[in-house]
Amino acid sequence: MTGRKPTQFTVFLWHRRAGLAAIILVIILAITGIMLNHTKALKLDENYVDSSLLLGWYGLEPEGEAISYDVGEHVITVLDHLVFFNSYPVTRTEQGFHGAVKAEQLIVLAFDAELVLLTHDGELVERMPTGHSFSEIKRIGIKYKRPVIETSDPLYYMADEHILDWDVIINEDIAWADKTTLNDTKMTVLLESFRGRGLTQERVLLDLHSGRIFGEYGTYVMDAAAVALLWLSCSGLWVWWRRRVRQKKKHHFQKHHRL
Amino acid sequence: MKKPALILLLTLLSASAFAGGVYQEPDAFIAEVFAENPPKAEVIWPNNELKAQIKDVLGHDYKGLRIRYWKQDKTTAWILDEIGKDKPITTGFVINNGRIERVRVLIFRESRGWEIRHAFFTDQFDNAALNKDMELDRTIDNISGATLSVRAVTKLARVALLLDQAVNAKQES
Repeated sequence: MTGRKPTQFTVFLWHRRAGLAAIILVIILAITGIMLNHTKALKLDENYVDSSLLLGWYGLEPEGEAISYDVGEHVITVLDHLVFFNSYPVTRTEQGFHGAVKAEQLIVLAFDAELVLLTHDGELVERMPTGHSFSEIKRIGIKYKRPVIETSDPLYYMADEHILDWDVIINEDIAWADKTTLNDTKMTVLLESFRGRGLTQERVLLDLHSGRIFGEYGTYVMDAAAVALLWLSCSGLWVWWRRRVRQKKKHHFQKHHRL
Repeated sequence: MKKPALILLLTLLSASAFAGGVYQEPDAFIAEVFAENPPKAEVIWPNNELKAQIKDVLGHDYKGLRIRYWKQDKTTAWILDEIGKDKPITTGFVINNGRIERVRVLIFRESRGWEIRHAFFTDQFDNAALNKDMELDRTIDNISGATLSVRAVTKLARVALLLDQAVNAKQES
């Protein structure tokens, strides 16, 4: 009843549908595109994102709580499987952290089934899997400046000065490692170290523009938006041209065939 | 007809999915090498020259300042880690008189390439030594689909021989 031919009506209908479907994506494409054209002026490459939600989305927000132990004037922290000497990442672990002590020659970190040895300056000396020599480590302490381990048996083992050999001892005069809490300043520095250089606004806008921020298939969604834009251009042109032809015919008819 | 094929496929998939893991605990390996009477562990602190040689072989520094080993007469045993693709492969090496006596993959953490644990691969290292270019004196055949794991263990074999040389040279001096 619209008076349009079926072909023209279909094109117009799909023009409208494509426009409605793509509207949000086209807005995102347009705004992010404009902003990215002015990266320098907007300082997008110098400003960092501090939204926990976005940082978490990019995997830059640590999971779980930080576990810290004082070792002399330094602190050992495990945060989301990363082991830090003060704020410097030393190594990774998938195991539970049970403490750290400063022995005569080395710093000793205890995990479920592994000991990690560091120099007093935080350099990695050795990773020692305990294998089946010890059962599961429960905590670590110090006696005569030597590390002592408590296992789940429970048994108590004290290392020699080079931490090569272990002897069973009795549970006496052992100073067990105590957890500590990082103050706000130290926690901020640690989080900065965890996140590396962080996430720039430019990175987020680029990923938003390309669709990568939405994951593996996000780029295809943005591709679809671009195809929709192409379709809108062609169908819009088609509808405009058909309408123009029709109006010309109407004017011609009114002018020359008026009753 | 379809059902047995599906079962076979699932069996093969599950077999490959669980093929990695701890094949032998490192200290069990050491106990086995030294007939249940292992010597005390010793450590070598690689000097700059040795560090450079190891870096040349691995393409990166070996993690850690010291490396543990066990020595009895002219036999040394080493447990070394190297990343295949993403995760470290823990391998035990026994060197006797400057030649490899035994190679065993102890812990395999990667999702692919576990075939290197088999004797048909590790036996290739038997009696291998370093030539003057610090390369193995023989070719180690690749396993298709396990190239990175093969490469990692081959590099570790060279590192173990280098470390053995360094330990013996230190003792002689």
